[in-house]
Amino acid sequence: MKAWLAARLLGQAPRAMAVLRRVRPVLKVGSTVIVTRYDDVLEVFRRDDVFDTPYKAQIDVLTGGEPFFLGMRAGPDYDAGVKAMRTVMHAGDLARLGERAETLAATAVAAHEGGLDVVDDLARRVTFELYADYLGIPRPPEGRIEVWATRLFEFQFAGSPDDHALRAEVDEIAPAFRAHIDGEIARRKAAGLNGADDVMSRCLALQAAGETQFTDAFIRTHLLCMMVGGPPQPPMVIPHAMEQLLRRPTALSAAVAAARADDDERLWRIVREALRFDPLAPALPRVATADLTIACGTSRETPLAAGTKVFAAFASAMRDPRRLPSPETFDPDRLDHEYIHFGHGLHECFGRMMNEATLHRILKPLLKQPRLRRASGPSGRLSKNGVFADRLTVRYGP
Amino acid sequence: MRQTTLCVPLDVRPESTERLSALIELLRRREDRPHIGAADNFALLSRAVPTLHFMSLSVFEHQSFDPIFIIEANFDGRPGPFWAQLEAQMGEDLREMLRCCKEPFDRTRNLYCAITAEGSRVPVAPYLEASTQRPSVFHHGNRGLTRDRIIAEAKLFRALREELDKPQNQGAQPYRGAEPEDVRDRLYQKMLPEHPWLGTPGPPRVSGTERFLDISRLFLFATMVVGALAIPGILMAAILQTPIYLAGVALFALVGIYLIARDRAPLPGTEVKTTFSLLGYLLKHAPLVLSVLLLPAAILTVVLTAVALSLVGLYGAITGLTGEMEAFLWPVSRAVILGVLGIVSTTPYLVWWLRRLEMRDHSQDSPHVDDDIATQMARYEDWVSQNHMGSIVLIRPGVLRSIIIRYGHMGLGLLLRVTATNGYLGSMRTVHFAHWAFLNNGSRLLFLSNFDQSWGSYLDDFIEKAHVGLTLAWGCGVGFPPTRFLIFDGASHGRRFKAWALASRAVSRFWYSAYPDLSVDQIERNHRLAEGLRNGPLNRADSRTWMKDL
Repeated sequence: MKAWLAARLLGQAPRAMAVLRRVRPVLKVGSTVIVTRYDDVLEVFRRDDVFDTPYKAQIDVLTGGEPFFLGMRAGPDYDAGVKAMRTVMHAGDLARLGERAETLAATAVAAHEGGLDVVDDLARRVTFELYADYLGIPRPPEGRIEVWATRLFEFQFAGSPDDHALRAEVDEIAPAFRAHIDGEIARRKAAGLNGADDVMSRCLALQAAGETQFTDAFIRTHLLCMMVGGPPQPPMVIPHAMEQLLRRPTALSAAVAAARADDDERLWRIVREALRFDPLAPALPRVATADLTIACGTSRETPLAAGTKVFAAFASAMRDPRRLPSPETFDPDRLDHEYIHFGHGLHECFGRMMNEATLHRILKPLLKQPRLRRASGPSGRLSKNGVFADRLTVRYGP
Repeated sequence: MRQTTLCVPLDVRPESTERLSALIELLRRREDRPHIGAADNFALLSRAVPTLHFMSLSVFEHQSFDPIFIIEANFDGRPGPFWAQLEAQMGEDLREMLRCCKEPFDRTRNLYCAITAEGSRVPVAPYLEASTQRPSVFHHGNRGLTRDRIIAEAKLFRALREELDKPQNQGAQPYRGAEPEDVRDRLYQKMLPEHPWLGTPGPPRVSGTERFLDISRLFLFATMVVGALAIPGILMAAILQTPIYLAGVALFALVGIYLIARDRAPLPGTEVKTTFSLLGYLLKHAPLVLSVLLLPAAILTVVLTAVALSLVGLYGAITGLTGEMEAFLWPVSRAVILGVLGIVSTTPYLVWWLRRLEMRDHSQDSPHVDDDIATQMARYEDWVSQNHMGSIVLIRPGVLRSIIIRYGHMGLGLLLRVTATNGYLGSMRTVHFAHWAFLNNGSRLLFLSNFDQSWGSYLDDFIEKAHVGLTLAWGCGVGFPPTRFLIFDGASHGRRFKAWALASRAVSRFWYSAYPDLSVDQIERNHRLAEGLRNGPLNRADSRTWMKDL
């Protein structure tokens, strides 16, 4: 019931945000503020000196107290963490990831004759296989990595402190996940560096080369956080994109044409535009670390006390007619700055480039299917469980 | 498609002038060169701000004021998305430039402080938007053609020329000797695959709604002017009997006309004979002139009568005195009609008053031009077939002048919207985007123009073909060559006018054109060719006309 209500409310969010943008662009309710206009959302994201992410406490639970850059403020530690991960997850991998994503997706589509569930049969299956291989984390002998990562993701980004059942689950999963990665690190060390080209191997190679930052704990923490923060997202957004395309026959035709022509750049633009209408979430949270004023010098200037929780409604910002030309028009040729899907500024999604390389490639084999359409009945419409996509069944073929 | 012209004037801290100029120069050097993956200069800006036609960044210095930084932009669509695009491309450059400017004292002060604070990452777009100055008069050459459309049609033109000039087409040229309709149809089939947009009709350059609004605004303005001029007459007509009032109007009009006739002669040595005749112009545009005068007069009569009767009705409803409205109908209508007629007696006095002011105006025949500035201006000019100029002049003081310049600009601007719809500014075929704007509480007048050919030939074009409009718009400037009745002489003093204009200019350090190799004429030619292909098969006469542009 709670999830159903949350999904219904989220469904009405665009309308509510449009009203807020006009009448109350900076809405303050107690110690919580929602900013809905493009300028203000950008300001919140950019001012990382006074706006922090509220993720550190949860990250500590996941990592057993080890630091991860998503929970850090700007500074040398943050820079070192990001730089280290960029040396083992670099732009040279993107082409390979894109190709692998498409191959896996083609296999998934081929395995489901006549139709499939975009959430489970395609997005979740492909994404976890793709990234588990890429990161070098094998399937655990007990438990499923999809469930582990998704539950930890939920705790990390969407969990409520009052959800004791989830916390109890996390207290079991997180140590098991850490132990699983530790086990793999130990196994690989024992087996010697066997030349596997995945992120864990690269980390271990750097460790062996004397890079002091790459301790076992560092490798475990960062691989864990990458697995928790990354793969659960495509199964959320790929169905969103598909749903938006299904609502717009012209856009769907364009996507199908691009897929059939193997025009990946065009297809990415179409998928990205579809996601503008329903991104990962309506807003991202930040916490004011000092007394400050946002939208200073404008009619919506609002003072905030330290500790105020601010929701930067980036979904609303991407539909703000004050800064986007014809925001309700589906236009794949929009400019980069009109998209804030992956956040902005210091904590912009680390996996942005990977998403840009893979999301559309996962949809591509499906879009190539003849007579792609919704399944009849409720299963043919995207349903959500809270913020998570639950089911979207499509049919294809005769 | 709606197009926007605007400028952002910002006072510069004197000690930061050099730094600001250096920042503008740095930005120009970064943008004005080919980049990886694009052969054209300004390719990054062109891609990042796809609505932008022309843009300039200039610093104007003046001995009576601290320097002023002007951002000029001419683009398609609304300002909000444009500022977001510009910020995404050069937001941090603009922030550094804004740090060289003075802290404003108006409502934008807090916003300025927020965006220029040390380490600030607050978006600059809202401040630029809040500091925007709208033009008092503007002209859009090639009106209604979006930047994308201009570029697409230019590409089509080149493709057409290549098709006609193909080596294999020499000798046995497949189009030679063919009927005009066949040539057009075959070229259409040839061009369609590479230019699929030819398969759909283009949007109108000026939509019906826009046209209606332009005309409505002009008539509303004319109605207000007629109303203002009629006020003395309405008041007098309300208290005088008709014969006495009419006699008074005639007498005052005759005296006014006599005074004008007495002082109409140009001051010694200031007359410039031109082919322009006010009477000839009025006769040539008689339908427009009459409609702009008579229709507002009629509207005014109806509206004022209705307002007066409504007030009487309201008074009657409050006091319970009914049946009085009919009694007021004729007196009110009479006063308004006679008052409008009274304009013939008030107008000559205003014209004479203006003439008296003109006779005592000082001009500057040989203004000082800094050699260094002139050299710098020359250095930035004539790199492409288009050029840019910016000028700021002081405005002459006085009540009448202030009223005339403001409402004159307003009327001229509205008139241009109604008349300049074919892409050209009257007979001038060299102006892309130009505008005037009042600065500093209306004490200074900014002029910015993006035009074809060199600065000298552009002004010659103006002097020869548009000296009347130019004198009307710019004649209020301190030191402007002597004018007569607002529109005569003035800019017709070619040499003096050019010296005056040169002295008021600034160096166009950063100037961007989205299509630097296209003249206004060529854009219109490309457009005619594109429309000829787009709008289905043409008959023989139209095809023949169309072919002349090939």
